[in-house]
Amino acid sequence: MSEPLPPPPFGKLRLVWWLWHLIARLGPLFALLLVIAVFAVADHWKNGENSQFFTAGNARTVSATVATVFVAALGMTVVIIAGGIDLSAGTAQSLSATVLAWGLMRAAFSSSNPWGAIALALGTGALCGLVNGALIGWLRVVPFIVTLGTMRAYLGFGNALAKETTLRPDTATQVPQWLQNWLSVRADALYFGFPLGVWVALVLALLMAGLLRFTVFGRHVFALGSNETAARLCGINVPGMKMAVYSLAGLFFGIAGLYQFSRLSVGQPTSGLGVELKVIAAVVIGGASLNGGRGSILGTLAGAGIMCVIDSGCTQLGLSNPVQDIVLGAVIVSAVAIDQIRQHRMDARI
Amino acid sequence: MRLFSNGVLACALVLAGCESGSHSSANKGNGGGPRYRIAVIPKGTTHEFWRAVHAGAAQAADKLGDTEIIWKGSQLESDREGQIAVVQSFITQHVSGICLAPNDSQALVEYVDQAVQEKIPVVIFDSGLKDESKIVTYVATDNYNGGVIAARRMGEVLKGQGNAILLRYFPGSESTERREQGFLETLQKEFPKIDVISSDQYSGTTPEESLTKATQVLNKYKKEVNGLFAVCEPNASGCLGALEQTELDGKICFIAFDPNAALIRGLESKKVQGIVLQDPVKMGYEAVMSMHKHLQGEKVPKRIDTGSTVATPENISEPHIQQLLKPAQYQE
Repeated sequence: MSEPLPPPPFGKLRLVWWLWHLIARLGPLFALLLVIAVFAVADHWKNGENSQFFTAGNARTVSATVATVFVAALGMTVVIIAGGIDLSAGTAQSLSATVLAWGLMRAAFSSSNPWGAIALALGTGALCGLVNGALIGWLRVVPFIVTLGTMRAYLGFGNALAKETTLRPDTATQVPQWLQNWLSVRADALYFGFPLGVWVALVLALLMAGLLRFTVFGRHVFALGSNETAARLCGINVPGMKMAVYSLAGLFFGIAGLYQFSRLSVGQPTSGLGVELKVIAAVVIGGASLNGGRGSILGTLAGAGIMCVIDSGCTQLGLSNPVQDIVLGAVIVSAVAIDQIRQHRMDARI
Repeated sequence: MRLFSNGVLACALVLAGCESGSHSSANKGNGGGPRYRIAVIPKGTTHEFWRAVHAGAAQAADKLGDTEIIWKGSQLESDREGQIAVVQSFITQHVSGICLAPNDSQALVEYVDQAVQEKIPVVIFDSGLKDESKIVTYVATDNYNGGVIAARRMGEVLKGQGNAILLRYFPGSESTERREQGFLETLQKEFPKIDVISSDQYSGTTPEESLTKATQVLNKYKKEVNGLFAVCEPNASGCLGALEQTELDGKICFIAFDPNAALIRGLESKKVQGIVLQDPVKMGYEAVMSMHKHLQGEKVPKRIDTGSTVATPENISEPHIQQLLKPAQYQE
């Protein structure tokens, strides 16, 4: 979806061409709006005057809930576009959160100057990614296997650091207030209607989109995912690229760890188990191809949003967990299937 | 795009279908909808224990008549993020009150504060919260006492001598940590000749995980072990399986916490020497009742204990034990 566009035709066709590509690009976003509309109507129909789904308050709550998965999904998007996969995302994220909790509990980093602890946590994430990238790039083991292994290893490191319990920094003295407010929807923690963490996530998304679209690195990521052999023959340093891609993703998992910590205020290595599947689902609903070479930040935003909106909407409607899971599963499969069909049509047209 | 919209519309239809079904479970008040909507949030939804709590909460709602309960929790008891999302979602809905069994004593404090700030009172049940200053009341089994009872039963069966293993549940779960503490402290105080040879292993939250863990631990201590205490139901199911696999069943004193069908059969065949019983139905009932009282402006005590007893192969047929062994389960 973010491949370089073929040159636009001239004359009257130009407008049609732009519209077509705009719709293709915004596809997942339309899907998100549609899901929101469906729930808004259903909620209004069921709860009448008391319906709360389509309110600013709920938008805040949903945005705060989705932010963690979204930030991790930004990293995962790059990995998937480059033709890889990272199953260690969840445990790398909770390992970073655990490191952050551990750091904050040390006297060396007081709550007035927590930057050391934060740098340590983000560094941990990037290091996790670097290890993945090095193993994949130099040992040439497939990413699925490598990250399946490191997923357990990072869980182990986290548990070792936390001594198999939960690290609980004292929220009154050891955790800075801004970090506690990072994703808080209390009135005094909001900036322009949303918590700071949500704005930062959007800025990160913009940076990532810019990186993918306007830099040589971004073009190489797409090239690597489209055809690794061709990329190598074109002179791209494939192992080096892989290390860079996974390290960048790891950094984002580290940032997601900070998000997770701000929400839980505890460091618990096991809380990342299963998160990787949510993150991958967000990227895939957003139209990325697991075969590599295709994916977009806007799509990932929509994908993460769709999942969270379904969760929120089902709760507001009083639907049970089984129903919620079935709906979510159906949406994941249909979103990908429909995207596939649309892609074929577009290919046929070109 | 057309295909996509069709897909989402299909989902909408599915939703609509399920949605009309969920109406029947609401308890309508006398004309014009219920006066109070109380959200009841368990730690998880898959254990039999929570179905019994649900039954108790539903009983209370039936008795009150003017109250509707909304039952919703995360599926995994370890899913803190999931539970936080549910709590926030109910805050957004402005329910009349929230009854919550927090799956982390610290992580949920902030969100309980948020609810109270939005003028939604919160009753905590089953598992404690680190900061109890803002809640209406805490309705729970005295878990420490549950551990004490388990230790005394083990002491009685082992006649005060032997090697015991404690299999812990999940770090950060306050209720089970109190049981573990009560068990260990009582053994130390009242049965000094019982040695605890392993108390640092966590079994994990599902029966599968704890089966694996318990098998490993039992294999390691196969020759020395005389007693095993599993601190909650999923944990105990796994342990029972592990005892059978290591052929230790019936040979050592196994004490479980909370019953299920397999454990009760174990009690009948004397593979299980004791099951500490809570009263989950009473817990759900009292949580909703005390919330209702609070909403009506009545005073509620800060702590409500719902009691615990131990079932043994000897007292299993007594009616009050039977009632606790097979508590009412919520039916749709």
